[in-house]
Amino acid sequence: MQTGSEFIDLKYVVSQSRWRGLWRLLQGQYAAYGAAALSLGISALCRSSVYLLLGYFIDNVLGTANFSRQVPLVALCFIGLAIVQGIFTYLSGSLSGRTGERVAQRLRNYLYDHLQRLSFAFHDKTKTGELIQKVTSDVDAVRKFIAQEAVEFGRIIMLFFMNFGVLIYINPRLAFLSIICVPFTVGMSYWFFGRISKAYEAFQNQDGVLSSVLQENLSGVRVVKAFARQEYEINKFEKENFKKYGLGRKLLLWHSFFWPMSDIITGAQMLFGFYMGAVMTMSGEITIGNYIAYVSVLIWLIWPIRNLGRVIVQMSQGLVSFDRVMGIIKEEREPIEVGDYVPAERPKGEIVFEDVSFEYEAGQPIIKNVSFRAEAGQIVALLGSTGSGKTSLVSLLPRFYDYTSGRILLDGVDLKRYPRKYLRDNIGIVLQEPFLFSRTIRENIRYSVGRDVSDADIENASKAAAVHDVIREFPGQYDTLVGEKGVTLSGGQKQRVTLARTLLKNPSILILDDATSSVDTETEAEIRGALKRLMEDHTTFIIAHRIQSVMMADMILVFDEGRIVQQGTHEELLKQEGIYRKVFDIQTMIEEEVQREVASVSGN
Amino acid sequence: MAAFNEFQEEEFSTTVNGKTVLRILAQLKPHWRWVAGFLLCITLVSWLDSYFTFLNKEIIDRGVANKDVQAIIDIMIPYGALLLIQAVGVFSFIWLTGVLGERVRYDLRKKMFGHLQNLSLSYYNRTPVGWIFSRVNSDSDRVAELVTWGMLDTTWGIMNIITAGYFMIIINWRLALIVLAIIPVLVIVASWFQKKIIKEYREVRKVNSKITGAYSENITGVRVVKSLGREEANLREFSGLTGEMYRAGYRAAWLSALFLPVVQLITAVALSSIIWYGGVEAQFGGLTIGGIQAFIFYMTFMLFPIQEMARVYAELQHAVASGERIFSMVDAVPTVVDIPGAKDPGTLKGDIVFRDVHFAYDDAPEEAVLDNFNLEVKQGETIALVGPTGGGKSTIVNLICRFFEPVRGSISIGGTDYKQYTLHGIQSRIGVVLQTPHLFSGSIRENIRYGRLDATDEEIEVAAKLAGAHKFIEDLDGGYKAEVGEGGNLLSVGQKQLISLARAVLADPEIFVMDEATSSVDTLTESLIQQGMEVMMRDRTSFIIAHRLSTIKRADRILVIEKGEIAESGSHAELLRTGGHYFNLYTQQFREELTREQDPFQAQPKVAPAAAASAS
Repeated sequence: MQTGSEFIDLKYVVSQSRWRGLWRLLQGQYAAYGAAALSLGISALCRSSVYLLLGYFIDNVLGTANFSRQVPLVALCFIGLAIVQGIFTYLSGSLSGRTGERVAQRLRNYLYDHLQRLSFAFHDKTKTGELIQKVTSDVDAVRKFIAQEAVEFGRIIMLFFMNFGVLIYINPRLAFLSIICVPFTVGMSYWFFGRISKAYEAFQNQDGVLSSVLQENLSGVRVVKAFARQEYEINKFEKENFKKYGLGRKLLLWHSFFWPMSDIITGAQMLFGFYMGAVMTMSGEITIGNYIAYVSVLIWLIWPIRNLGRVIVQMSQGLVSFDRVMGIIKEEREPIEVGDYVPAERPKGEIVFEDVSFEYEAGQPIIKNVSFRAEAGQIVALLGSTGSGKTSLVSLLPRFYDYTSGRILLDGVDLKRYPRKYLRDNIGIVLQEPFLFSRTIRENIRYSVGRDVSDADIENASKAAAVHDVIREFPGQYDTLVGEKGVTLSGGQKQRVTLARTLLKNPSILILDDATSSVDTETEAEIRGALKRLMEDHTTFIIAHRIQSVMMADMILVFDEGRIVQQGTHEELLKQEGIYRKVFDIQTMIEEEVQREVASVSGN
Repeated sequence: MAAFNEFQEEEFSTTVNGKTVLRILAQLKPHWRWVAGFLLCITLVSWLDSYFTFLNKEIIDRGVANKDVQAIIDIMIPYGALLLIQAVGVFSFIWLTGVLGERVRYDLRKKMFGHLQNLSLSYYNRTPVGWIFSRVNSDSDRVAELVTWGMLDTTWGIMNIITAGYFMIIINWRLALIVLAIIPVLVIVASWFQKKIIKEYREVRKVNSKITGAYSENITGVRVVKSLGREEANLREFSGLTGEMYRAGYRAAWLSALFLPVVQLITAVALSSIIWYGGVEAQFGGLTIGGIQAFIFYMTFMLFPIQEMARVYAELQHAVASGERIFSMVDAVPTVVDIPGAKDPGTLKGDIVFRDVHFAYDDAPEEAVLDNFNLEVKQGETIALVGPTGGGKSTIVNLICRFFEPVRGSISIGGTDYKQYTLHGIQSRIGVVLQTPHLFSGSIRENIRYGRLDATDEEIEVAAKLAGAHKFIEDLDGGYKAEVGEGGNLLSVGQKQLISLARAVLADPEIFVMDEATSSVDTLTESLIQQGMEVMMRDRTSFIIAHRLSTIKRADRILVIEKGEIAESGSHAELLRTGGHYFNLYTQQFREELTREQDPFQAQPKVAPAAAASAS
């Protein structure tokens, strides 16, 4: 199905010059777009010819001896011209429409892919709403620019020159006398449309204000009712609503002045032209047929010019959108395929950190000189407070970010030599914030593998994640939609589905970033049991808060402020003075406390 | 699911409902002078347009053909004057129509917003906010557009055809009949095209919203996509969507591109018949040269009114559907309303009694949330409601606030069924603090003042101090003037709760209702919230949906609500001794809270847990 043309790398479109960029964007469509422009010219030519033919008819056919012989011919010529004009009008509209759609399609595909290949750092700092705005509205504005605005501009220009050519053919002096108003009209419409777009912007902004008042009122409806503040809310809305009305009036005032004023200028020009033409006809400088042709052509010359200002303003908005889209395309992709070491088999999973440091922003290290060694198949647990760098540390393994200094070795080879793709294919990470897609549960679990998977595999994965029984209770079981249009899962259920998703991928290295925080203790134990069986030959990293979640680990790393402060097994760490024992003590103490509390009441 | 489909229904029916059209037109009634004004102006403008063409013919026939300069000047002077008059007409119709459009939008929004304030919570429960939102925004736009510009364009089109027809008949009636015969053909072709084009555009919009959805999901889920290496599969799926978009967009584009040439071709046929037949007529003196020219012009420009009218007709269906949706909202009847003769209670002090209360939400009338529910609460008592989600705690609280009313049974306050009281009388005397507190964008001071609109700045500060919010507010940049952001999202949940407590303190209600936050709040803020609640609960009948042990323990009575029933009721000690539901809930909660408090990673040493427990 894919012809490949939709997947052209658009990186090269980025250019210092905006026009060159736009030109490059049209790559592969030059012929179609060129043909559209040519068709535009031909159809404009046909239109002008119609009036020349009319002039010929009046001068040379009407009232002459060969009238009855020529009149059907002329009538046929009219239809012929209309057909040719029609065909080419259609061609230009359809070809430019196609070009616009193709370019938009290519942009959409490219941007979609681009976004999922941009680095984590890019997504960390970019707001979702803005990005979506750019990839949807701005792309559409670019499409409109290519398919409509540029074409409209071309049409006006061609009509102008074509018709002006006809006027010169009729009489050069008359031709020049007929375009006196053009600079005035263009200047005036440009001036006006600058202001109109400003007034429009103010109007639109107020629309935004009004919308957020409404939005807030709707989401705060309980508060409004609880305080019986209906009147107050109505007044607040009224104020903004009325302001919008006022801004709308202002915008309309500009419009109401612009159109009649340009009517007056063009009207005066036409009257003047008619008069001059009439005088010339009477003095014999031009024939009466030419005068008739002149009157028609003049109207088709002046009329479109009125719209030039509007089109120019629209085009400039299209160009702004183009710049914004280019802004995204300029961002560097994360090269997921690049790396010189690609083993044929899966990694064994031996991981060594040597003095690794990492910072998101220069000068603010998140991880400081971390060193440890995890043997293949071991379970490594990370314990520490929020913000101590645990998540950042595991993010380094699939190369979501690259470490700033030191070395990480996987199976004895520097991590930076592996392509990111290889790492991500073989490392499964269950993120802290479970994210599910608006698809069925089955598709969500299958999301991790790009192929069809048997139902048994999917069920096994969900059983291991202790979510199979939950799913079975949904109305559509595995085919239940997740999200707005389907079931809403609790935090713990979501976590378990994401866990199942990752397990299905069967990675060599598994990272669980606080993946069971919203799951109750019993279910967590169940999951742990299943994982232990499944992950025997897999290296596993577990980030957790509860002692129960980490005590079975082969190695526990206690984190504080980006450093490892303690390291060892549960038993070893218990013997040491330190944070780990404190955590353990507190949890034990809590249990005792519960007992005491209950006892104190019972004793009464 | 039925309700869900109903709200997804954005398509319009193909038949136009006459009643709705009349009701839409009724929106113009108060402004009929404006309507008459713009209709007059557009009539004048289009009549002048046709007359100018006629004058052009006169210039040719009487002036140019006769070589009579004076005749040309005699025609041109009134021509120029009429041009100026037409300019005034253009100014007026743009102004009148445009302003009227804004006015209708304004009216509609005002009406809808006002109505929305009166609708009961049950309406909001079953209606997605997005749905309401687009009624107030896009549907009102569409309706206003129809009754102003739509009506203007239609009038212009009709007048244009009539006046052009009139002048053509004056020039040569036989030829005029030929030309006019072609109009129905044009109308049919034009409306066929418009229907097709609109259909394609609808398809484009549909695919477009899918594309937006795909983008949005891909961006929000980008970390998952990357960690699972799904890039290629995603792009494959997505390019299916863009392919669909391309095809739909291209179909719409070529249909639009085809429309004009087809119509032009039809007019060309008419044009050539003018040449042919007109030529013959001219040969025998029935038609002048100027006449031929005028006919050609009338013919060429007849295209535009027909194009416009076809467009308006297509829009009409859309706008009527919008109108239907607007009216369905405006016609929605609030379920909780004052009964006739309802009076202001004067005070809400007194015992609150639930007697045999039966309640079900109206989207699921079969599933009773409360059934034969009985409860007596003494004036000044503090009730803690605990129990699993969906057990009915929120429903009880909603009933007390009279956001909903019992389906059967009664709730009385101070011995009187509360339905005898006005809604305003009840709700203005109950202070509510919600679990996820909602603030309005604006300053902190404005948000607190929401509790009592005539409160002075000093009173606001006093309330904030009582609620324990003063200190953190002072520490903010700008203090009481600090902006809270949309929905209050510049503040933390805890801070928002403090402010909404202050808001409730300022309102000085007689009954206090609070839904405690479940999300973790830092220890300091937590204790401040507790302090604020303490102030509110003093001497007031209070209902707390409690999640914190300290709150629960402080209550006079704890109700464990499960499956719409009071499973257990009593004081903390009593219930703990029973060893039932409460015991389990409590011990679990106790563990969690202590774990949260005892974070060994924080630098400063903690208060010993024993001390913490005994202090409360």
